[in-house]
Amino acid sequence: MDYRAQLGIRFITRRKGSLIAASLAVAIAILVVQVNSVIFQGLYDAIVRDLINYRFGHVFISRQEDFITKSSFVLVNWLERIPYVEAAAPRIDYSAQINSTVNGQLIKDYAVPVIGVDPVLDRKASTMYQTVGDGQYVSFRNSIVLGAIADRDLGYPQIGDTVKLKFKDQHGNDVLKRFTIVGITKTAGSVGLDNSVIVNIDTLREIIDRPQQTQSILVRLNDPTKDQQVRDLFLSAFPSSADKFKAQTIEESAELTLSGFRSGIVLINLVGYFGMMSSAFAVVTIQMMQVTSKTRDIGVMRAIGSKRKDVLLVFIFQGMVIGAIGAGLGTALGVVYTVYAKETHLTFQGSLALEVKYNWMGIAQTDILAFVLAIVASIYPAYKATKLEPVEAMRVG
Amino acid sequence: MADYVLEVENVDKVYGQGETSVQALRNISFRVRKGEFMLIVGSSGSGKSTLLNMIGLLDRPTKGKVIIDGIDTSTLNDNQLSTFRNSKLGFIFQFSNLLSDLTVLENVILPRKIQGTLENAEEEARTLLRTVGLESQMRKFANKISGGQAQRVAITRALINKPTIVLADEPTGNLDSLSAETTVHLLKSLNRKLNQTFIVVTHDSPQFGDVDKVVTLKDGKIVEGELEASMI
Repeated sequence: MDYRAQLGIRFITRRKGSLIAASLAVAIAILVVQVNSVIFQGLYDAIVRDLINYRFGHVFISRQEDFITKSSFVLVNWLERIPYVEAAAPRIDYSAQINSTVNGQLIKDYAVPVIGVDPVLDRKASTMYQTVGDGQYVSFRNSIVLGAIADRDLGYPQIGDTVKLKFKDQHGNDVLKRFTIVGITKTAGSVGLDNSVIVNIDTLREIIDRPQQTQSILVRLNDPTKDQQVRDLFLSAFPSSADKFKAQTIEESAELTLSGFRSGIVLINLVGYFGMMSSAFAVVTIQMMQVTSKTRDIGVMRAIGSKRKDVLLVFIFQGMVIGAIGAGLGTALGVVYTVYAKETHLTFQGSLALEVKYNWMGIAQTDILAFVLAIVASIYPAYKATKLEPVEAMRVG
Repeated sequence: MADYVLEVENVDKVYGQGETSVQALRNISFRVRKGEFMLIVGSSGSGKSTLLNMIGLLDRPTKGKVIIDGIDTSTLNDNQLSTFRNSKLGFIFQFSNLLSDLTVLENVILPRKIQGTLENAEEEARTLLRTVGLESQMRKFANKISGGQAQRVAITRALINKPTIVLADEPTGNLDSLSAETTVHLLKSLNRKLNQTFIVVTHDSPQFGDVDKVVTLKDGKIVEGELEASMI
């Protein structure tokens, strides 16, 4: 082994306190970046996941400022012929005034979002039906599923109770309709679902007097990476100019929701990287202490023939040891935390479960950055070491 | 001319500038032949160690020349001086100055590693360690052996590159009398056996008995000049 590498390794590994302190500084910096990534990227991905599963699908088709008048049956059939499409389902998002009568007593009257779904197609294109904790998903025409918050606000009506909803049809007329509660949904994070109610889309069409019309179609893909391709295929078959269709990928349709969150992630990552800079200063301090404690040895090395650049390399190698051990330790701790978060479907106070992914490229980038920073942080102490004159170093050391 | 491995010519050394300057060496001149055992003696502050640092190329004279093996070292740059020290000079310090993070063997081989000539280095180091009676200690870390043993290791480290001159700065100054006696005996026997040139700074010249040459310094000047051993 090169003697400069040997000395660098020996100098730091035989000073366990310094090695542990410097390596921990690097490891903790990596851990902070990785934990930030697991939590905030996991939260972001969880929101995207729920938006795909409950609201938009991988591709979301709507019509600019109006309902889709073309038959949803035709559109869904056309979409399901694309090999990447797993399923498609029509939806109508509307609103109504709701009240509940429990034991003959009116409980409440307030506005509630109403989601009209096709009970059969929606089960294929969305996992919203899985959010039903008690009871079942909408099936027959007058059935309704209440979100948990809507249910609470209505005084916890039970399955089998009825609720009355007042809609305004497309002409502005009030239409009253009584529904039987068949299920209660409860979602972590909810994406607004727990405030909503779900009804049969055909019932809703009838109430608002929009027969055969649809507000949107959510498309679920078997290969989510093909979302842009499916969007483009759809728009080429149904050009915007003719039907005023709008087809968007999840990133586009949820842009408003996600853009703020993305900025937050960038900010949090910056905080992590500032932490990494702090760890670099810790490495500088510890390396300076190392140079001070090894002053006599540096003098001896110079006396017996080491050049200044050799002394520089000894402390650079020392920085590499610190960087390598710190990066290894930080990665190990970060991976353990990532596995824990993934396997336990980590949540915070009952909010939505994080969507944890193994981002090996991100981990590698963080490791390399930390390793390089440890080396860069060693340059100044190493440079100071090269400035020691042998006689002075041996006298002072 | 070629007989001399060391020529010190009119060397002055001044520390500081102006009124606060101190002249540590004044017009020092002497020559040393290959295989000679020379002592530099003098009281504390007389300039012994300063002179040794000049000869060892650890410091540069303010005026004058140090010529080793016919090479005027004042013409060498910092890197060349390092290489020169490594190949031509061996150092023995008062406190042995072994690297505590290396084993005895690694300390001895270090100058060879710096030189980049590792062929047979370990065998030669073992042989030298056997000569000084420390072969059995060679796997120990340098801070795990006694002061006397450490000084013997320092002697082998100084010899491993077969230097032109071995410089020793108070090699017995930090040792008990028995270890000091052993060290002196070892230096002199190596001088005879290997025809190795030694220049030793000491304040205890009688300890070394007969030597080839003694330079006595007082206030940075040679007071007795070059004295042949027979004259002591």
